[in-house]
Amino acid sequence: MDMVFFALLCIGIVTELFTKGGDATLASLIGGAGAAVQNTVTMAGGMLFWMGMLGVLEKTPLMNALSGALRKPIAFLFPDAGKASGAIALNLSCNMLGLGNAATPYGLEAMRLMEAENPHKGVATDSMCVLLAVNASCLELFPATLLGLRQSFGSAHAAAVVLPVVLSSACSTAVTVLLCRLCIHR
Amino acid sequence: MSAVVPIGIVLLLAYAALCRVRVFSAFLEGAERALPLLKKLLPCLAAMLTAIGVLRDSGALDALTGFLRPVTEAIGVDARLLPLILLRPLSGSAAIAALSDLFTEYGPDSAVGMTGSVLLGASETLLYTLALYFGSVGIRKTRFTVPLALIASFVSVAAGLLFSRLFFG
Repeated sequence: MDMVFFALLCIGIVTELFTKGGDATLASLIGGAGAAVQNTVTMAGGMLFWMGMLGVLEKTPLMNALSGALRKPIAFLFPDAGKASGAIALNLSCNMLGLGNAATPYGLEAMRLMEAENPHKGVATDSMCVLLAVNASCLELFPATLLGLRQSFGSAHAAAVVLPVVLSSACSTAVTVLLCRLCIHR
Repeated sequence: MSAVVPIGIVLLLAYAALCRVRVFSAFLEGAERALPLLKKLLPCLAAMLTAIGVLRDSGALDALTGFLRPVTEAIGVDARLLPLILLRPLSGSAAIAALSDLFTEYGPDSAVGMTGSVLLGASETLLYTLALYFGSVGIRKTRFTVPLALIASFVSVAAGLLFSRLFFG
C-alpha cells in the first residue's frame, strides 16, 4: 500500500506540474482531501442506517439460525477445526451479511483456537488455509455497506446490484471450495 | 421491485419486536459500529482521493486508460474501473474511495457505477486479511493459501464483470 500511494501521488504531481503548473497541482491536491470529507459525510447516513438495522438483525434468532445452518458445511470444509468451528460459523455469517468489521474478531479468535491445537506451530493447518481462502472469496448475501454507499450518492436503484453481487460471489466461493478440497486431499 | 427492501425492513423490525428484541438499543449498538469504520475511512479517503484526483487532473489517468484501452477492450473491461479493481485486494477503504470517486464523476446508476458496485461487493480485501489473520497467530508458512486466495479474487472479479454485463447490458 505504501508503494502504491507513493507511486500514484508522485506520478500525479510530477505530471500535473508539467501539464498545468504549480497552482493547479496544489488545487487538485487539496481538492482531493476536501472530496474525502464530503464523501465521508455523504456515505455516513447510509452506513449508520444499515449498520443499525444489522444490529437489530443480530439480536434476533436469525443470526443463530444462519450459523446453525452453516454447521454441516463447516464440518465438511474444516475437518480439523475442532473447538474453532463456532467462531468460524460466526465469522462466515458476518461476512455473508457484509459485516466485514464484525467478522474480523471472530476470524482472529478462530485462528487463535486453531493455532493452539496446531502440532506444527508456525505452519498453517488445512483449516486455516481454507478459512482464509473462503474469506477471500466471501459469499455475500446482503452487501449492507455497499447499499448504504449507493443510496448516499443518490442512486435510484440501490438494490439492483444485490443479485449480481450474490451470484458472482457464489461463483467464486464455489470455485474456492472445490479447489480447497483438491488441495487438502493432495 | 423497489418496495422489496422497505418491506423487508418492516418484516425484520416486526420479527425482532416479536422476539422481544429491544429494537432501539439494538439499532444504536449496530449504528455505533459505523463510527470507527467512518473514522478509519476518512484518512484513507483523503490519501486515495488526493492521489486519484491529482492523477486525473494531470491527465495521467486518461493517458494510462487510453494506453491500456486496447487491452481492456479486448477483455471487455471499462478502463475507468481499473483503479477500483487494482486497489480492491490491497485495501477495502481505498477501494471504497475509488468507487465513491466513480459515483461522484458518473453517478451510482451509470453503467460504470453499477459494475463498480458489483465488483466492490463481490470481492474481498485479500492481502490485508491474510496479513492480519496469519500475523495475529505468528504463522510463517502459509502453504496453499496465497495462490488459492488470489484465484478466488480473480474469479470474483471475472464473475462480477460477467454478471454485470448480463444484468445491466
